[in-house]
Amino acid sequence: MNDLVSIVIVSHSMDIAKGTADMVRQMVGSEVKVAFCGGDPDGGLGTNVGRIMDAINDAWSSKGVAILVDLGGAETNSEMAVEMLEPERRQRVVVCNAPIVEGAVMAATEAAGGSSLEQVKAVAEELSAG
Amino acid sequence: MAVGRTMIGQDMLETSANGPFVTGKVRLEHAVGMHARPAVKLTKLAKRFQAQISIRASEAADWINAKSVAKVMALRAPRNSIIEIKALGEDAQAAVVALVDLVAADFPDVGPS
Amino acid sequence: MTLQPDTFKSLVKDAAEQVIASAPELTALDQAIGDGDHGSNMKRGFQAVLGKLDTIGAQPLDEALKTIGKTLVMTVGGASGPLYGSFFLAAGEALSQKELPEDLAEVFGSGVNAVSARGRSQAGEKTMLDVLVPVLEILKAEAGRSDLIERVRATASEAVARTAPMQATKGRASFLGSRSIGHIDPGAKSSCVLLHAVCSTLEARQ
Repeated sequence: MNDLVSIVIVSHSMDIAKGTADMVRQMVGSEVKVAFCGGDPDGGLGTNVGRIMDAINDAWSSKGVAILVDLGGAETNSEMAVEMLEPERRQRVVVCNAPIVEGAVMAATEAAGGSSLEQVKAVAEELSAG
Repeated sequence: MAVGRTMIGQDMLETSANGPFVTGKVRLEHAVGMHARPAVKLTKLAKRFQAQISIRASEAADWINAKSVAKVMALRAPRNSIIEIKALGEDAQAAVVALVDLVAADFPDVGPS
Repeated sequence: MTLQPDTFKSLVKDAAEQVIASAPELTALDQAIGDGDHGSNMKRGFQAVLGKLDTIGAQPLDEALKTIGKTLVMTVGGASGPLYGSFFLAAGEALSQKELPEDLAEVFGSGVNAVSARGRSQAGEKTMLDVLVPVLEILKAEAGRSDLIERVRATASEAVARTAPMQATKGRASFLGSRSIGHIDPGAKSSCVLLHAVCSTLEARQ
């Protein structure tokens, strides 16, 4: 079976991140790898670059990784995490400009069909397009 | 050529060859209409086929690409809509039959391909 | 002004200790117009930096700056982690191609550009850039002055105060709109604390 694009969910809230991952698995199935992270090291709301990097590496697929984020800090920290990955992996990770739950479900659906990373990102971002 | 399939309490379903397109119609029985979960299942199934596949939720509506999860989710066809499907390509017949079956059987879980 | 390794280690130690000491004040500022976590975030980050002081002191300067940057990214959290982290990572990267003190403005400028790019912001939006950019201008324009350290210190102080009447358009404070007016920006304050600490340490060593 060919590799599929993986999904990483980054929320300020661990509950939201986990819940979104659950929704993706229930609605789309388990063939697409999903990893999630949320919250800061002290257990409060926030995002953590180290954990985002771990999630990306856990969900790694040769076809690439699409990251879904909630608010601004999650996006900034995700971009930071991508820049701190090994050079070979940096190019194959994108942060999507999409609502976190709907974007994750749509991205995973598209990924399940074998689509490329660019296509998965585009589908997730259709929701945010004008 | 018509292929019929009935389920208890449902109208006759038919698929037919219509010009270069294969078409099918099926009543949407799902309790809350075409919401997100069925939409995802429909799209996933459509993507397994090579054919171009379009669907619409009524004769008045525009055809939309059945492989576009965003468009299918936006359909929000209510219960009792007649979903029309048309497909063009090598496996068009199989695609239409599969999609009609999916809707008729009320979107059962399918295993991974 | 030349930087000896032990001077740099002192600089880092003093700056970290100043930030940690100012955590309550940073928290208070951030409670007014932010999440209220800037103080604890910065304290955590600079405690981690202190924990790596020996490593940092033993590395070549450019690597040391990158180590500081990486440490801050991984431990500060919030919005400031990536911003401060990017500053030091970029400054370290720039320094690998340059010399101090001749290229100080360029190295500092690389850090400022990285903050601007990371936060997608610029001066005038009530952020740490409103201290960093004026300081950069001084470094560029007044490089040869014998009282450069004092000029940097004074510029930082004035710049922090000038953030008070600004309205925030970036970060969490931007949700407050005009209610952010009248409050000093916490990120600007922490930048000022760091710069003042560096100035004091360098002066003491002159």
